[in-house]
Amino acid sequence: MMMQFEQITAFIRSILDPFASVLANYIPAEWIASLPALTLVLFAFLSLIVGMRRSPLVVSFIGVILAGLEMILFESSTYGSSFGGLFVRDAFGDFFIWIILIVAFFVLLSSTTFGGDKGAYNFLLLVSFAGAIWVVMATDLVALFVSWELMSTPTYVLAALGPHRGAIDGAMKYFVMGLLSTTLMVFGIALVYGVAGATDLALVASALSAVWATAAPEAYTVLLSLVLFLIAFGFKVGVFPGWMWVPDTYSTADGSVTGYLAGATKKTGISALLRILAVAFVVARLEWMPLIVAVSILTMIVGNALALAQRNIMRMLAYSSIMVMGVLFVGVAVGTQYGVAAAMFSAFAHALIKSGAFILIWAMAIRLGKEITYDDLAGLSKRSPVSAALLAVLIFALAGAPFTAGFWFKWFLIPASAVEVGLWWFALIAVLNSVFALGYYLRVIRYCYFMEPSDDKTFGLARGPLLAVILAVIGTLILGIVPSLVLDYAFSAAALFAVP
Amino acid sequence: MQFDFIQNLIAALPMENILPLMLFIPVVGAFIAYPLGKRGARVLTLLITGFEMVLAILLMVAIDPSSDTMSYTWRFIMGTVPATDPATNLQILLGVDGISVAMIFLSNLVVFVAAISSNHIHKSEGLYYAFFLLQQTGLLGVFMSLDLISFFIFWELVLIPLFFIIGRWGEEGCEHAAVKFFIYTHLGSAVMLVSFMAIYFFGPGTFEMVALREVGLPVDVQIGFALAVFMGAGVKLPVFPLHNWLPWAHVKAPTPGSVILAGILLKMGGYGFIRLGLWMVPEGFMRLSIPLALLAVFTCIYAAFVALAQTDLKSMVAYTSINHMAWVLLGVAIGAFAFQAGITSDIRAAAALAVQGAVFMMVSHGVIISVMFIMAGLLTYTAGSRQIPDVQGLMAKAPRLSAVLILASFAAFGLPGFSGFIAEALVLFGSVNIYIWSGLIAFGIFVTVGYLLWTLNRIVFSDPDPEKEITEAPWSDLVAPILMMIPVLILGIWPDLILDLVIPVVTSMLGGAP
Repeated sequence: MMMQFEQITAFIRSILDPFASVLANYIPAEWIASLPALTLVLFAFLSLIVGMRRSPLVVSFIGVILAGLEMILFESSTYGSSFGGLFVRDAFGDFFIWIILIVAFFVLLSSTTFGGDKGAYNFLLLVSFAGAIWVVMATDLVALFVSWELMSTPTYVLAALGPHRGAIDGAMKYFVMGLLSTTLMVFGIALVYGVAGATDLALVASALSAVWATAAPEAYTVLLSLVLFLIAFGFKVGVFPGWMWVPDTYSTADGSVTGYLAGATKKTGISALLRILAVAFVVARLEWMPLIVAVSILTMIVGNALALAQRNIMRMLAYSSIMVMGVLFVGVAVGTQYGVAAAMFSAFAHALIKSGAFILIWAMAIRLGKEITYDDLAGLSKRSPVSAALLAVLIFALAGAPFTAGFWFKWFLIPASAVEVGLWWFALIAVLNSVFALGYYLRVIRYCYFMEPSDDKTFGLARGPLLAVILAVIGTLILGIVPSLVLDYAFSAAALFAVP
Repeated sequence: MQFDFIQNLIAALPMENILPLMLFIPVVGAFIAYPLGKRGARVLTLLITGFEMVLAILLMVAIDPSSDTMSYTWRFIMGTVPATDPATNLQILLGVDGISVAMIFLSNLVVFVAAISSNHIHKSEGLYYAFFLLQQTGLLGVFMSLDLISFFIFWELVLIPLFFIIGRWGEEGCEHAAVKFFIYTHLGSAVMLVSFMAIYFFGPGTFEMVALREVGLPVDVQIGFALAVFMGAGVKLPVFPLHNWLPWAHVKAPTPGSVILAGILLKMGGYGFIRLGLWMVPEGFMRLSIPLALLAVFTCIYAAFVALAQTDLKSMVAYTSINHMAWVLLGVAIGAFAFQAGITSDIRAAAALAVQGAVFMMVSHGVIISVMFIMAGLLTYTAGSRQIPDVQGLMAKAPRLSAVLILASFAAFGLPGFSGFIAEALVLFGSVNIYIWSGLIAFGIFVTVGYLLWTLNRIVFSDPDPEKEITEAPWSDLVAPILMMIPVLILGIWPDLILDLVIPVVTSMLGGAP
């Protein structure tokens, strides 16, 4: 499946081939597809042990890099399913696993300045990474639920580990709403099981098509479960009905954790939702489409309107990521190969941009010792030219400036996918919302570049987070010039879900 | 006017194609200019913009305007969308014909002069010149693009550096003007963008302009697209209800920023009308011909009256731009009439005349208004204010400055002998042949003459106020405007320099109607 990176992966494979064959001999074939996640669990325990004496960050890095190597060594075409087909590696899952691993790497880089030296912190992060990987691999509702919990539970604690008292409040809100959404999810799974008699997504799909073919009354139960799933996963993604926790938690949690929440766990929600909608509920496409259109429009409007009112940059970014999720849901609502690929590309681009932005603001907050508001950004181009330039690129990428990754999803892929199915007005709403979003994005630039600083002291950023942000910025710019690097994978993965 | 040795020279340039070379040099320059800072950045910018102008002149001489195909095409594929059949290329596709070359020449000329007139920028020069060069790439890219996606990319790319230039180096209140400018123009672009998608999916499934033109789209799609182009290009041009951002941005921008805005950015709108409208969806524009012509006449007269009421010289010049760009819209609207069924060749010739006038108006207005904006900027330094009532007796105190200002004003209202006259005459000769009432736009000229002469009367020929100090502008400030007056005069006497490039293209554009 590797297209643009084929050469690189083939090279890595050829070097590490003996190592891989040894592993393949000793590890049950059933487990190999889940090996990246298992590795992360193993290293989570290692880092917990190491963390008792010294900083376990190195162990965590090794874990994440090993997981990435295993992704390359064991191709999804050979080692597809694991644990009896509960977790499956396919092109779609791999795409999201790479998002998770890239964000994980950034988050660990950023943790070098705060929190990373504690064993518990590393343990929770790595377990959550493993859970996230399983979420995107899950093809069974129960497996999805279990891995969902494995991913979510550590993040409730991680969000509470932030430096302020406020982190507890934010985490509490996150936890309570998370519990609610989990309950709804279980209820939805129960309803689906009651109708379809199965929890495997493919089996559910065939059972539902029988229900739809006979226009049986069970269809209403299925539709109810559909709404429940949308709310439950939409909570994690931060779309309309369940968005309220996002700004509170994002702005109070440790910024690296925020980067992880915004960059990776959000995207797993999208992947789970896409699998459920486009595989299990594919017959109900005409029913869920208007629902998601409505969710998308409301999310964009809510995110935009509230982002405009913020003074705190973290909160502004949180609301802006609500808005971007609304844009991304346009692609989900469309549900064609084009739409799914657009949503996947958006997820990748947004993961890069947003985790970079959160880490950057967090690094500044640590350096200046306070929460960053617009006033603290005044004259940033004079106080810290490098961070101002990085922030400007990231903000312009979010605004969709040309030659950044943001351009392709905000101005091109997403509207194009809506126009393709004839919803040109929907595309127009999305595009106009992107224009209104300029209102708060440009304010950041205005403060950074047009205002005089209130405090003339220059400052630099810590090396770890800076490196993460620079990598994110480089990735954003490269994707802006050659989007095909990621786009080709997104399209080939989305071909799995080609909705008629 | 093609010469073999010029073509050989162009073929010998690096990158094998002159167009991407022209795009890359400023980008590379921008990254070098930033660390150089101060003097180094300025010298580098002058060198690069000067070299770009040489390239533009080479291109003008080398191109064969009568050929039906685009010259110097160049393609860079950024990605493909395999979901469509056939797979869509997300590409940058460049190519030029006579009209684009005229606009490229204009942009490089105006950018060069704007670079010279940047001598009063003393704040973060490295950053300024980096943005300045980056914006040149965007401007050139718009005029070179032959693919809707690359057109849109460059169309948007121009805004970012200009946003910084207006907002950081502008006058008091420029931050607000910059944001307003950015969002306003984006709104128009957003509508245009959705129409790009629509024309792709409802049409033949390609973003390449040449293919879209040749396929002959259905009339309803054409009309919808034409309306969306009106939104996108109409904001840039600007036309009456969409012009609100312009006075703000032009007045608050630093002098070189205003020069670029008025000299080229507005021309992007006019070029959009011609390339995306008249050239690509002629049928759609034909049906909008009368409303567009009416709007153009109204905009011209309206802007002239608003200009009459301004007390800030820069603001007055800004409204003069709206006033003059309405002529471009009129030319386009008249040109669209040529696609009516069963018209005589006389009428077609008249329509062609109007389109030639529109293109010539863009070039001539670009050079004239640059001088006017530089003069308005200089007034702040020599007389301490741009407010017309505050400046008196300029002729007695600053004769050199006054002379250039007088000449520029004459050119602006279209005195014969200057390029503005040719442009207005061409549009007028064409349009009265087709819609006799469009001759009303000449009323706009009367008002324009009126307010420009009145302004000259008030600031140049009045008695000096002994309490106000006015110093003569130094020659270093006058280099840019005087340099820019040369093309104004040359084009007034020898308009064929530009028209030779434009006429064959316009003839084949209007004659080749289905």
